[in-house]
Amino acid sequence: MKSWFRQHRFAIGAALGHLFKAPGSFLFNVMVVAIALTLPFAGLTLLENVRPMSEQLSVDPEISLFVTPATTRDEARALEPALRAILKDQQAARIVFVPREQALETLKAKSGLSDVLDTLGDNPLPDGYVLKLDSFKSAADAGIVDAIATQLRALPGVDTVQVDSAWVKRLAALLGVLRLVLLLLALTLGLVVIAVVFNTIRLQVLTQRDEIAVSKLIGATDNFIHRPFYYMGALLGLCAGGVALGAVALALRPLNTAIAEFARLYASEFQLAPLHPAGLGLLLAISAALGLAGALLSVQRHLARLN
Amino acid sequence: MIEFKYVSKQYSPEAIALREISLTINKGELVYLAGPSGAGKSTLLKMIAAIERPTAGNVLVNGQDIGALKKASVPYLRRNLGLIFQQQRLLTDRSVLANTMLPLLVTGASRAEAEQRARAALDRVGLEERAHARPQELSGGEQQRVAIARAIVNRPQIILADEPTANLDRASANKVLDALRAFQAAGVTCIISTHDEQVLDRAARVIHLDHGQLVGGAA
Repeated sequence: MKSWFRQHRFAIGAALGHLFKAPGSFLFNVMVVAIALTLPFAGLTLLENVRPMSEQLSVDPEISLFVTPATTRDEARALEPALRAILKDQQAARIVFVPREQALETLKAKSGLSDVLDTLGDNPLPDGYVLKLDSFKSAADAGIVDAIATQLRALPGVDTVQVDSAWVKRLAALLGVLRLVLLLLALTLGLVVIAVVFNTIRLQVLTQRDEIAVSKLIGATDNFIHRPFYYMGALLGLCAGGVALGAVALALRPLNTAIAEFARLYASEFQLAPLHPAGLGLLLAISAALGLAGALLSVQRHLARLN
Repeated sequence: MIEFKYVSKQYSPEAIALREISLTINKGELVYLAGPSGAGKSTLLKMIAAIERPTAGNVLVNGQDIGALKKASVPYLRRNLGLIFQQQRLLTDRSVLANTMLPLLVTGASRAEAEQRARAALDRVGLEERAHARPQELSGGEQQRVAIARAIVNRPQIILADEPTANLDRASANKVLDALRAFQAAGVTCIISTHDEQVLDRAARVIHLDHGQLVGGAA
């Protein structure tokens, strides 16, 4: 076991020694790999920031129901038992009647168009209901809401049924597309990283071919010869991952300044936050693994040729 | 003990390096392989180190059949051999000491132990004071002695030297051969290929090869 650790320590030392013999070349390779990693890392950071927001929005589905202008208050009120019947499977559903007067007051308060609305004279808004449904856990559950909305539209005196969760579905679908795009982007750029490391290690193998040949003649095993190259690849990936995460963290500052101004317009304080430490650690591990994969492929191919 | 039993090596129908060689080299023996260029001396040495495999016949090194040796076992065989080449094959980007330590480091020895034994090996070839020099700062003879130090640092049972004196002046060649003879006297089997007639005069046993055939010294 002691010898095993010693061999790995030797391999790490050899890898660092060779990398620091040509620091310019090493830094250049780190920058190339870091550029490839920055884009998926930035995309992931963005998605991770948007995901909780979409989840929060999707947990409170609502349906707004408006009666026709000809429907009287009593007729509108009389709809409530029918609504309860439709929502019988919804354990925690709430039905809130919104009289047209209250709706107008709310509109005035929220829109800031009080003066304009005053000029209308008559209240143009109908009576309505807000149906707060059971929370659902995923965008797929929105199908239940659609089914309820269809039943509501069939009720007498109902003019419009507005499913407020529709845009949540759209956002969820959009996030799904973005996730897929990000996955494809990450796969493509992951291949780019592997290719860059593959080529870097190929050059390193060629540079060290005399040392490799001598090592074989004096009894070095293949593992002993391969190991420093594996560490080189992993180290290259790790350093590039660190640089890419640093670049994303730096980019968040000016981006957050712009986002803060935009969000303020919607009375929001939304800000992009860096990934949590576990996420950062995972991305660094993935970066190192990509570097290692490039080194493995390169060593298998090029050292086999030297044999 | 090293045994060649009807060993042939053929690279192509026109290029036959060895033809049905049979010979035995005993433990602790000093043997010179003599013959002109292309006689098959280097091929014979390479077979002992499993750098080449026989096309026909068997090469046995301490009872191990080289032809049947698995690739993964080759490094362990070579750890019992000390290889010395005409071109010393020293690594020019590191010191004489680091070159000498390398065979120990590949076996997993600690750096401290490797350094101590490498310094002792350099001392035995008279180069301890040049430990921190780069190989290219040394003369050809000194470089060959570093190669010997690297070959013996692992305390091998067999030393294989392929034309170790070919590029050296007489004084340097003598120093190299004196060093090898000293190891043979300590019980190490030494096999030295050479075409230097003056070297052969001092030999205990000479195996002559010509065009891949054994022409003398097999017994």
